Amino acid sequence: MAKDFLRHSSLPLFLKELAAYGDVHGPVMTDDTVPAFGRIDSPADLRLDNRRALIPPKKYLLPPRETVLTFSPDRGYRHPPVSERKIILFGLHPCDLAGISYLDKVFTATEPDPLYLKRRRNLILVGLSCEPDDYCFCGDMGTGEPSQFDIFLHCTVEGYRLAGGSPQGEQIISGISMLLSECELLPHSRQACLIERKILDAAACNETFPDSPLWDDFAARCLSCGACSLCCPTCYCFDIREYGSLDGETAKRLREWDNCLFTEHGKVAGGFNFRNNRRARFLYRYQHKYLGFGPVRGIVACVGCGRCREVCPVRIDLLDLFREGGHEQQSCN
Amino acid sequence: MNSNPVIKSLPLPAKITGLRQLSTDTSLFSVRLDDGEAARQFIFEPGQFIQLSVPAGGEVPISLASTPTDNGTIELCVRRSGHVTSLLHTQEVGARLGIRGPYGNGFPVGEWKKKNVLLLAGGLGIAPLRSLLHHLLRHRVEFGDIALMYGAREPSAILFKEEMVELGNRTDMHLFLTVDFASNESPAGLICNTGLLPTLLKEVNFATENTVAVVCGPPALYRCVIVELQGSGFSCDSIFLSLERRMKCGVGLCCHCAVGDLFCCTDGPVFRYTDIKGIREAL
Repeated sequence: MAKDFLRHSSLPLFLKELAAYGDVHGPVMTDDTVPAFGRIDSPADLRLDNRRALIPPKKYLLPPRETVLTFSPDRGYRHPPVSERKIILFGLHPCDLAGISYLDKVFTATEPDPLYLKRRRNLILVGLSCEPDDYCFCGDMGTGEPSQFDIFLHCTVEGYRLAGGSPQGEQIISGISMLLSECELLPHSRQACLIERKILDAAACNETFPDSPLWDDFAARCLSCGACSLCCPTCYCFDIREYGSLDGETAKRLREWDNCLFTEHGKVAGGFNFRNNRRARFLYRYQHKYLGFGPVRGIVACVGCGRCREVCPVRIDLLDLFREGGHEQQSCN
Repeated sequence: MNSNPVIKSLPLPAKITGLRQLSTDTSLFSVRLDDGEAARQFIFEPGQFIQLSVPAGGEVPISLASTPTDNGTIELCVRRSGHVTSLLHTQEVGARLGIRGPYGNGFPVGEWKKKNVLLLAGGLGIAPLRSLLHHLLRHRVEFGDIALMYGAREPSAILFKEEMVELGNRTDMHLFLTVDFASNESPAGLICNTGLLPTLLKEVNFATENTVAVVCGPPALYRCVIVELQGSGFSCDSIFLSLERRMKCGVGLCCHCAVGDLFCCTDGPVFRYTDIKGIREAL
């Protein structure tokens, strides 16, 4: 039997070992009581009972606002230095791991983004199993079974069963063998939910529910606050801005999170807007999230974390489309 | 160039080498990469675009309005419209710029050999079609009849007036100009109709057999022109459109330019009408 079981009591020691590889970040509660990912300076900071962080871990790979280029007259445009320090992201639920896996497909596949690549190489992902609540359905999106991680911790009553998912993860686990003991295999349970099949079937058929009255309902209620996109682990639309310095010579180019629910998103020079109403913007969001375009065409981007359903101030739930859309299996036509 | 993704993500230093005002708000900028070798290797197809950086202003996608030259100078026809282009219009010869690209697919000129080509430009839409026309005329024998129909708001807004005079004098192509509103001013040396481009299209007899139509202009132009073209007998797969979107990155990441499940920056900006006609908000 494998020695892969970590008792709850050994968790602080495990975190200490992890700290040897870099800065440990994980689920914390901010001073203003927001569940978040943040730096873990002591095991007491860790809040493993956080259901989900408000802002997903995409912020470690795509900061909300970052300098992507600097300009100076003598050197032209240059990439800024990126910290080479490793970050261990501890306590990532399977949905958030799936979110990172999706972003990897976007930012490292056809047109690798140099800043993303550097940050990604310096991340060590430590996953943690979780129990779904009323909002999330990650098990149902096939993301409950973690796909991409360095280490994954399956929770049990008395501790965690560790699995290595990469050479680096295996190396870390072998380095803490003194903390591990043997354990019975856990019975694997995967929750089934009807919505998963409906989403995947609809996506496979390129379904856009053009006749659904829900689009008008969503458009009428939406506040265009963008919260659903902001807290989505796979939303990555960005805007680029450049600001000159007061010296009149140098400049910084920033990449900022953008939001397809915002009016400006579809505007072109001269002021024409290809998505000038909320309905059009919702359809765009649906297209990206469930059907995909560009390098992720055909890949369902929803990882079932439930954040958008939880944060929407007017309780808009895109899943209603699948529930009420009446899309039957094998009805592509 | 551009095989290295790191280089592709970095604007290369360039300078304005020439400047010609074309109308009150539009100028033609000649731009050349500082690195002579990189400039000579800057090969592109008509219809492609670059991401142009104006330091302290930002970056904008701009159609290439010329064809590749021996010394690598490119021409960009830019209207003063937003933050970056306004800053560009304050720059003079010698000013520093940055260039990434070229991006996009360009016009499939290889497919058009032996075919007649009808170019329809509205306003600033002349920019990519000028590049295409230069290419067609340079390889004149490979194509059938060539016609350019170009519509502008008013006589003073006609871009490349001197070039239009030259094109009008050529015997190996047809030029049709129109302005939406006539004024007292008449463009020197140019024969110009009054009325919208689709109206002009209706009035001119053009063989639709073995002909491709290429359209570029403001969003409102496409729908009317396409209706006219189809009415004249053009099939959907012989109509090509160069679309405008707000391409922030040019490489299919920022997600501003999606047209259905296609990206204007990487799958376009040139689309065959067949491929986008069913897409909501494509035009």
